[in-house]
Amino acid sequence: MSLRFKLLLIALSTLALPLAGWLFVRQMEELLRQGQEQTLIASARALARSLNALNAELPPAGAALYVHPAPGKITIDGYADDWKRIISYAQKLGPPNDPEKLSALLCSDDDWIYLLANVRDATRNRVDARDPRAAVSDHLTLTLQREALVRRYLIASGAPGHFDALTLNDATDNALPTVLEGAWQEDGSSYRIELRLPRAQMPDKISIAAYDSDAPSGDTADMLPLLSLSSQLSDELAQFAPEGMRVRILSGDGWVVATAGALISPTGAPMARRRWLENVVYRQLLAPGLTEAADFSVALPRLNATEVWQALSGVTSTAWHRSAADSGVVLAAAVPLKSSGEVRGALLLEQASETLPLLTNRALLSVAIASLLALIVAGGVLFAFSSVLSLRIRRLRDAADRALRISGKVDNAALPLIDARDELGDLARSFAGLLDEVNAYTDYLRTLASKLSHELQTPLAIVKSSLDNLDHQSLPAAALPYIERARGGAERLGAIVRAMSQANGMERAIGGAEAEDFDLTAVVRGCVESYRPIIAPRRLEFDLPSTPIFMHGAPELIAQALDKLVDNARSFTPDDGWIHIALRARDDGMELSVANSGPPLPPTMQDRLFDSLVSLRPSAATKPSETPHLGLGLYVVRLITAAHRGAASARNLEDGHGVEFRLLLKGMPRKPMAPT
Amino acid sequence: MGRSIAIVEDEPSIRANYVEALTRFGYQVAGYGSRPEASRAFGTRFPELVIIDVGLGDEPDGGFELCRELRAKSPALPIIFLTARDSDFDVISGLRLGADDYLTKDVSLHHLAARISALFRRLDALSKPTSKETVVEHGPLKLEAERMRVTWNGEEVPLTVTEFWMVHTLVRFPGHVKNRDQLMREAQVVVDDATITSHIKRIRKKFIAIDAAFDAIETVHGVGYRWTT
Repeated sequence: MSLRFKLLLIALSTLALPLAGWLFVRQMEELLRQGQEQTLIASARALARSLNALNAELPPAGAALYVHPAPGKITIDGYADDWKRIISYAQKLGPPNDPEKLSALLCSDDDWIYLLANVRDATRNRVDARDPRAAVSDHLTLTLQREALVRRYLIASGAPGHFDALTLNDATDNALPTVLEGAWQEDGSSYRIELRLPRAQMPDKISIAAYDSDAPSGDTADMLPLLSLSSQLSDELAQFAPEGMRVRILSGDGWVVATAGALISPTGAPMARRRWLENVVYRQLLAPGLTEAADFSVALPRLNATEVWQALSGVTSTAWHRSAADSGVVLAAAVPLKSSGEVRGALLLEQASETLPLLTNRALLSVAIASLLALIVAGGVLFAFSSVLSLRIRRLRDAADRALRISGKVDNAALPLIDARDELGDLARSFAGLLDEVNAYTDYLRTLASKLSHELQTPLAIVKSSLDNLDHQSLPAAALPYIERARGGAERLGAIVRAMSQANGMERAIGGAEAEDFDLTAVVRGCVESYRPIIAPRRLEFDLPSTPIFMHGAPELIAQALDKLVDNARSFTPDDGWIHIALRARDDGMELSVANSGPPLPPTMQDRLFDSLVSLRPSAATKPSETPHLGLGLYVVRLITAAHRGAASARNLEDGHGVEFRLLLKGMPRKPMAPT
Repeated sequence: MGRSIAIVEDEPSIRANYVEALTRFGYQVAGYGSRPEASRAFGTRFPELVIIDVGLGDEPDGGFELCRELRAKSPALPIIFLTARDSDFDVISGLRLGADDYLTKDVSLHHLAARISALFRRLDALSKPTSKETVVEHGPLKLEAERMRVTWNGEEVPLTVTEFWMVHTLVRFPGHVKNRDQLMREAQVVVDDATITSHIKRIRKKFIAIDAAFDAIETVHGVGYRWTT
């Protein structure tokens, strides 16, 4: 991972900024909300108190039957299709162990009150109401009460269709109908009755009970009061309803008995549409407390929401709903309505709030923009900084590499950053110090051989001249072989000393070499021809271009480098092996290669082969008569190659049965013409 | 009475060896260990040939200094440098100061003796009429083997003894390629290839100084050199 990338990663830590901002905005929103909740609860309480003070008629405590407004024209036919819109509000009136056995629904229009009752009863034991067995057959008992008058009706039918229900009591009063007429229909699992009574004869309380002949039970049930949306209560409520809010009064079962006011969005719809993105942001990031609720915008007959149930159990509560306009939130506060210590219902006060999301969205937006800017700036600054840093480090590294490549012969002034005052400057100075050391050591190594040879020459001259003098003394014949041996030893010593000083001499010779334009092909061809007798019996192969390759350089040096390479190749090639010399022109220079069969190079040595005093020849392989190899040959090759701005490399052949040395030559730099 | 030779050499063993050996060859030899000592001796009487070591005791270039002194006093005195220093730079310095030859210390006593006699022979030959047999002529080149003298277009080319022998080797069989070993053998020097190359270069330069169009010494790469006419 590059330094730049790492620093960019670090720049990501500025992402903590928007996170902190988000948390802050959320907290702020939370506080705002709490404030609004408190205000709304206070309003709701005030409203409830006002109602109490007015002695407004509160819904009765306990269970009740709700009379819906008629969903349309109701035809008395025993079928429920007229009731479809409100059928889901059917109230379960069955016995406690099976409440769904009987369900009933009431509605009224201007003239009539309609009743739909559904009884689950798969077995049939039907007789007409007038049949004496009616009391023990399947039937419904409907009890109506108006003030003090109570009338019971037995509803039964022997077959689907129209039925008459007789009152079981004396019918002298006209306050309640004496006969109920309706329609009876049944299917496989249940039967259904639909009946109506005139609104003028509307009872106060009703009870319905179903009698199943298979599971006989009491056919009596509790008298339930009737509830409906009260226009009187609504009017009273409207006087107190704060502007822009909706108030509803709910019975103990959650039935809406009064409603007033309407939700008004503070802003228009087009604005809201434009800010859909902000709404999405608000919903996703800020408002996790929203509770899903049935759409409050339509006038539902019954509300089924948590806050309502809490209020009905006596606890004040609030909730946040998504507003119908989809651009804000609705805050609902529910307080219990109490009358003489008894919870009679609940008051639900709702307020549409768009300012809250607007405010928090704005805050969030500014936090987001600020942190984005901070991120960009921090990222940019860090990127620039790391670019500069890595550029400097790379320059230093390149300089160090370069210094290493040329064996420590580096001009310290060429090291970058040496004057920098920071840690990189320190590093550069350390490098410079290190390179100085390396330079000194390399210099020492470089001159060691020539110094040594120089120092050895004088004692060697003493030995040699003494031996020469000894020749002229009359020595016993037995001494002569020793003289010979001593002379041989001195010769070899001399050869070693010469070889040691040779590299140094070569450096000077290369430095003083004069470049000329010459045909490299001709030089190599001339050399190759002269190698033939030396290389025999090994095979000599060559691959030279037919056209001249002109080059600016010192031909005798090239020839000398080739000599060294061939000499080196020869000493490693077995007698039945081969030596291959090739020359070819490349785009970037001339490539001269000498390959030979023989043992491969150890991998660790490949880079060091061209260094001074590095030799692969085992000392035991040197025959006593030969000059020992000091590893200067390839060093000389490198010097010559370097003088021609080229590079020397060695590698094993791919089949592993040989070695190839390659010289890339580019030619010596042309010197400017000397002034005449 | 043999010819007188002075050896200036700070290493007593070598000095003693050379004095003994050259005495055995029939020369009258005197050895000196330092430049002042030699200068004092030369103030009274000049030897006929001087062999000087470059580094003399505390003076690394004392030999060069002495050579300059001697050359100023006697332009014709044969001077040979015999030294452990074998760099081209030292060789060139020595020869520029007017030394007649420059030998490294690994030369054998026989070679040294041969050089000395060659120098004396040239000294003698310069005072004798030229004998026809020893003169080789090729176009503008005239080579007098006895006098060890080479002229080009009638102008003398100032060659050292080593250089003279190299030219002699090449000229004796014009057109034949002489490899480095042969040149080394003929010139009786034992040096490395690079030194041969630089000798040839110097020879060329000396000819070119007289005639800018000189190109009679041809390099045969990988083999050696030949004289072309």
